Amino acid sequence: MLFNSIAYLIFLPLAVAGYYLLPQRQRWLFLLLASYLFYAFYRVEYTVLLMASTAVSYYAGLAMGAATEKRKRRPWLIAAVAANLFLLFVFKYLGFFTGAINQIASFAGSPGLLPVVSVLLPVGISFYTFQTIGYLADVYRGVSPPERHAGIFALYVSFFPQLVAGPIERARNLMPQFREAHPFDPALMSSGLRLMLWGYFKKIVIADRLVMFVQPVFSQPDMHTGIGIALALPLLMLQVYADFSGYTDIAIGSARLMGFRLSPNFRQPFSATSVSDFWSRWHITLTTWLRDYVYFSLPSRFRGAVSGIRMNLNLVFTFMLVGFWHGAHWNFLIFGLLHGLMMALANITKSAMQSFNQISRLRRAPRFLQALNITLTFLLVSASALFFGQHSLNDSLTLMRNLADFSQTSSILRMLITNNDFILGILLIVFMLTFESVTSRNRVKVWFLTRHTGIRFAFYLGMLFFMLIFGIFSRQEFFYFQF
Amino acid sequence: MMKRKRHFFGKLIVFLLLAAGINAAFNTVYDNWMIYHRLNRNQDRQFEEFNDTLTYLMLGNSHNMVNPAILGNSFNYASPSEVYPQTYFKFRHILENGKQKPEYVILTVDPVNFSPKADNTLKFDGYWRKYVDYPGLYRETGDTDYLVRWFTGRFCSYAGNYKFIYMSLLFARADFSQVVNGYRPPRDFRNFALEPDRKALGIERANSYLSGYGDRPDPGTVDYFRRILELCREYNVGVIMVRMPFTREYLEQARKLVDLNRLDRGIEQIVAESGVNYRVFDFREEFTDQPSLFFNADHVNPEGADIISRKLKFLLDADN
Repeated sequence: MLFNSIAYLIFLPLAVAGYYLLPQRQRWLFLLLASYLFYAFYRVEYTVLLMASTAVSYYAGLAMGAATEKRKRRPWLIAAVAANLFLLFVFKYLGFFTGAINQIASFAGSPGLLPVVSVLLPVGISFYTFQTIGYLADVYRGVSPPERHAGIFALYVSFFPQLVAGPIERARNLMPQFREAHPFDPALMSSGLRLMLWGYFKKIVIADRLVMFVQPVFSQPDMHTGIGIALALPLLMLQVYADFSGYTDIAIGSARLMGFRLSPNFRQPFSATSVSDFWSRWHITLTTWLRDYVYFSLPSRFRGAVSGIRMNLNLVFTFMLVGFWHGAHWNFLIFGLLHGLMMALANITKSAMQSFNQISRLRRAPRFLQALNITLTFLLVSASALFFGQHSLNDSLTLMRNLADFSQTSSILRMLITNNDFILGILLIVFMLTFESVTSRNRVKVWFLTRHTGIRFAFYLGMLFFMLIFGIFSRQEFFYFQF
Repeated sequence: MMKRKRHFFGKLIVFLLLAAGINAAFNTVYDNWMIYHRLNRNQDRQFEEFNDTLTYLMLGNSHNMVNPAILGNSFNYASPSEVYPQTYFKFRHILENGKQKPEYVILTVDPVNFSPKADNTLKFDGYWRKYVDYPGLYRETGDTDYLVRWFTGRFCSYAGNYKFIYMSLLFARADFSQVVNGYRPPRDFRNFALEPDRKALGIERANSYLSGYGDRPDPGTVDYFRRILELCREYNVGVIMVRMPFTREYLEQARKLVDLNRLDRGIEQIVAESGVNYRVFDFREEFTDQPSLFFNADHVNPEGADIISRKLKFLLDADN
């Protein structure tokens, strides 16, 4: 069930009403059934996978809880993580690996060694697999106790607002909330509705409008050149941001309607002053997950001492995983590699850059330096979209080749500046970034919330009808559903 | 707590009532005032009042610019952005409920008619719900989008239609007296020959309507095209297929995106297999050296439309 579908707009109020009407002890069951119904709307078969992942992780968690020593917990951890990763591998990566093996074999002169398997990717599998692995790791480390209630655990894995595209929740944050009594809270309800309205606005009005300009470039790279591609790259990142952060806002808002607090996933990423700062603001629950469960688990010492080289290699490796998490394509791997390398390079040259800023007196103009860093970061991140927006390496290379051809610049620019949707899209991007920057200040929030009801209603109605009139109602799927 | 809860729900109800009221007002205004709704309803009224012999009935989208005043005994029922699923429902309505049935239907068979971008791109649901059986389409395809379209067409027809609101503002004082026998003279405030970069415009137009064509026409549209032919066979209506003229720039790009020969052969084969009485008239390359006869890259202007209508009349008369 898509968040931007009429079905969800019917389902959600019923789920919220049902949740509050039932006594606390029955709410988990109701939410669990609602979550499975929500998921079954995509494909009923997918629910079997969800159940399998849940059952394996639940029993492994219990077994680990019963073991007193870490060494006895390890086999359970390995078995359960392997089982979860196996499902992810089969449904998401098998085709990629069989294809890669065949490619290598064809170089050696024996083509078609393995049958290329193409399985339909179950929606949300990357998200709930990471969530369950996170739980298993926490139980193994003793950070979280094992969940003994099978229903609560199943709900933790399948909680509908965050099931298909996150935020990837930690057990210690979400699980206890299922046991808490959530009395009806008008303030929380209002803030949830506000957040959802903003999420829908970003998705329907901004992201889906930008698709019109981005998709043609990435779907037919050989037909676009210079300025068209140069514009499509930053627009893709802004489209993905409006889309994914919009989705996240709807998810967090939906959960908030029932009194649940989900983790934030974005914090104004385009204000980042470095690539590592960007990743601390973009898809936060994924990057912190990889930081905690992968990066910190990698060996950082060489001959007893902390090794800078090894730390940087770990960073590059972790970000290759970030890339690969997005999809079984070389492009995503290169996307992650590029980001890892950029961060490693920034680490290596950190002191040199500080000296440069000192000598060049840039340090004396902190605002200018900050603006420069924000711009450079945005350009670097946008450049990496050459690989993020594509699934084929050949297409990315075509884009890179065509990027140098500026022969049609004037006609493309003329076409764009006379395109009302393009102009509106640019204005809306400015509005979105400004609005989020302004409302991130508590002072502004408090000021707005203390205005007269009529003023607030006028604002909400204005936003709602602006969305209805200027929205793109093509039921475009959320960008991150493909992951 | 109880008081806060009551207060919250009170405000929520007021908000929802306000939103519903504004929505109803917007929907009513849009439905009655939107330029294409007005044009299409004007066409409906003219068809109901049409009392001449109906030899030719032009159906389809804005490409079908055959002038009934030149052809004689005819009515142009083509409407902007119409796709063959919509045409099928309108044609069925005419045959089942109309005062008279045509001897021939004139359909354009241009690449845009069978483009994958044509399928499911039902527009103007507020108007089309009069003809299109949306629940039936849902039952047939299982696609809930048809139910959503029916719902939005009924209750929220302005949603996402900012372009048509803007257009309706521009044409708020549109003169419908020019519309005769359903035929609205094509737009003439632009001349393609005067465009500074015709090549870019041709490429852009072809790309936006024909990209993603693949190696065969859209199956959903072909299915409805077959159904139209089935109606023709059932009611003994002849089919005249017309390939409308394109500018050289559009045609060059279209050829890169679509195998036009294959498409034409495929469509002709479908019509031949349907067992209807049919003729094909190809004007596609008629004006490739005369950009001044076009409004934009793939639409002739009034002068171009009249030349084509005269040529078609001559050929049809010669045929008879």
